[in-house]
Amino acid sequence: MSTDASHEVRPAVDTAAGRAPRHSVDAGQEPGHKGGLRRKGLSERNRPLWMLIPGGALMIIIIVVPLLLGIYMSVLNLDQYTLRKWISSPFIGVENFVEAMTASPLLHAVWLSVSYSLLAMVVTLPLGIAAAVATQNAFKGRAVVRSIFLIPYVLPSFVVATVWRTMLQPGGIVDEALATVGIHVGLWLNGPQTFWTLVLVQIWASWPFIYLLALSGLQSVDHEVHEASALDGALWWNKLRYVVFPYLKGPLALAFLIGMLHHINNFTLPFVLFGVPAPTDVEVLPILTYVTSFQSFRFGLSAAMAFISLVLIAIPLFVYLRAVKLDDAETPRGKK
Amino acid sequence: MRFKSTTGLAAIVTAAALALTGCGSGGSGGSGGSTNADGKVDGAGKTLNVLTGVLSQYPEQQKQWQSDIAAKFKAETGADVKFETFASANDELTRIQTSVVSGQGPDVYGLGTTFTPTAYATKAFVTLSDDDWKAVGGKDRFNQAALGISGPDKDHLAGIPFVSRPFVMAYNKDLLAAAGIDKPATSWDELAAQAKKMTSGDTYGIATGYKDNYDPWKFIWAMAVQAGNPLVDGNKLKMDDPTVKKAYETYFGWLTKDKVVDPASVGWSNSNAVAAFASGKAGYLMMTTSSSIPTLDKSAVAGKYEYTLMPTTAPGETQSKSDGDAASILSGDNLVVADYSKQKDLAFAYIKLITSKDEQLNYQKIFGDLPANAEALASLTDPKLKPLADAAAKSKATPFTGAGGDIQLGLLNVTVQSVPDLAAGKVDDSALDQRIKDAQTKGQASLDRASKG
Repeated sequence: MSTDASHEVRPAVDTAAGRAPRHSVDAGQEPGHKGGLRRKGLSERNRPLWMLIPGGALMIIIIVVPLLLGIYMSVLNLDQYTLRKWISSPFIGVENFVEAMTASPLLHAVWLSVSYSLLAMVVTLPLGIAAAVATQNAFKGRAVVRSIFLIPYVLPSFVVATVWRTMLQPGGIVDEALATVGIHVGLWLNGPQTFWTLVLVQIWASWPFIYLLALSGLQSVDHEVHEASALDGALWWNKLRYVVFPYLKGPLALAFLIGMLHHINNFTLPFVLFGVPAPTDVEVLPILTYVTSFQSFRFGLSAAMAFISLVLIAIPLFVYLRAVKLDDAETPRGKK
Repeated sequence: MRFKSTTGLAAIVTAAALALTGCGSGGSGGSGGSTNADGKVDGAGKTLNVLTGVLSQYPEQQKQWQSDIAAKFKAETGADVKFETFASANDELTRIQTSVVSGQGPDVYGLGTTFTPTAYATKAFVTLSDDDWKAVGGKDRFNQAALGISGPDKDHLAGIPFVSRPFVMAYNKDLLAAAGIDKPATSWDELAAQAKKMTSGDTYGIATGYKDNYDPWKFIWAMAVQAGNPLVDGNKLKMDDPTVKKAYETYFGWLTKDKVVDPASVGWSNSNAVAAFASGKAGYLMMTTSSSIPTLDKSAVAGKYEYTLMPTTAPGETQSKSDGDAASILSGDNLVVADYSKQKDLAFAYIKLITSKDEQLNYQKIFGDLPANAEALASLTDPKLKPLADAAAKSKATPFTGAGGDIQLGLLNVTVQSVPDLAAGKVDDSALDQRIKDAQTKGQASLDRASKG
């Protein structure tokens, strides 16, 4: 409840406006409920909804309009032959969807995208948490270590992929290093191992993101909590498990969500690492959509693919969002 | 759903961009120049927009050339030229799509030859009439071979040849002489045999990159054409023909059977192959162009290498079965004029200027690309350019169809998916069959759409 002075003034003004009888009834009630509708907090009453306009307009232009256009394109036979008058391209209904589901590697691509993202996520989570816990307490050189941890995160994806591609090429530095200890892995950038290459590079590039969010979670742990658990004689593991981790749940749930979406959407990494046409083991969703659109010029089919994958990915996401209650802020208690 | 915007919805985003640019107004314009009594186009006060690829090897020279040409064009017609450049094929494609949909943009486009069929398929560019050809100086002024990929047939041409960039091979004279070879191979079988003689230790007979994004399909196409299979026959794709399989076997065989290429080349692109040849560790450098001259002239093989035609006799054959030698894909740049352009006469005048003999020779001198102007091409005397000029005259056009992109992709994909087998030293026969079959199915579907479109 707001304690702002301005709404305390309001009843007086109302009284002056000749609404005294009602006011007296209100006054008879218990203090907290005085004022009924008029007693809403300032932030709600004068909530500046107009502030949504700039963001909302941008959302409509760069997300809603393209989304609708994309859905429209997905029912057209839109390719290089019809592009010129694309609004009047032949309407073919669900044909693109049928082709995407039955005669294209779409489902394979969805499977690859989701599984690679999950794998990368499962590995980066403990890595990030461990790094955050390790750098939580001050020690000499902590600032340097923390800065170094962020390097993969601040490097552009293109740079990361180019450097890794150079290191992983046949006879490259990675092969040579492994050969000195007698390990010969084979090809990194072609064939079945590409999937694991993609996972590996993705892990390298994205664990600092988990680390960052875990760190922010750790820093929200009150000092008193540490003290209290110390007084109770909790050992480090128990302290971590029952005291600290609960604080991390929110930030990490968020990190998981954003990370998954980022991995599934990651075009630069596989594109630069493997090129197109990509080896079938890394023909992930963004690559497939790109090739369909810009190498085969099947814009309609590609839009249908994108739409199907959106739906396929949105369903588990929705379930996840409900499960971790990231939208807690919308419950009435948090309303302000 | 915020993630939506970046999911592989490239298509959608493009559409939005197209729609938005479509709403934009303006663009330079004017209702086109008028032609004076003396046949000169009067373009005073107008601006011609030209979109062309950036020459990353010669950035300064390109700017200089553009300002020189703009000055000459101004002197001739009174109009200005405004150049825009694209940095990558992707960039180019985006610009073309935007312009095609919105009906506005550059007046003249410079396109890679293999992209011309796709551009033609959009019907957004001028198919030149007889008068149009006259306006650019006549069809006869061009190297006739270079017109091969300007349109589906000789009466429907949209691409005006600007430069040729034929593919040749380079050979290391010292290595060939040391192996007792007196002249470079003219058949693929001979090439492999010679390469074997030159291979020893860390020196290999052939340098090529199996992971290049373009080279592999050019080899397969060339060998197939030389064996009498031009891949596309009417509306039928003939990728499942034995000649295609034979081509793959030969190309992969250099590594798996003949062992005449560096095993590391499974991960090489063309530039790695150039580097290997430049270090003097390879007898032949396959599938290269005049653009390798600057690199090679500064390397260990400077003065020791020469260009020559790639073999024109298919593997297992004794003579070429194609209709005329196919030494290279028809490669280079074409110019196309946008159908929506309101100043086509100015555009033609510009093309006439830059395809004139003098300008073409000047361009060759600065950038190394061969003239498309027949007279200019014939006047080249530098012996190093001789094999390149030969290759330009003996270049053969790849199939002119909107499905060309998919066919290339299919051919290339067979190599990409075979690379792990290559690295292991053996390409499984049934796996290769299956990959070729997939490429055939997809390519044929694309060809079917092309015939309807």
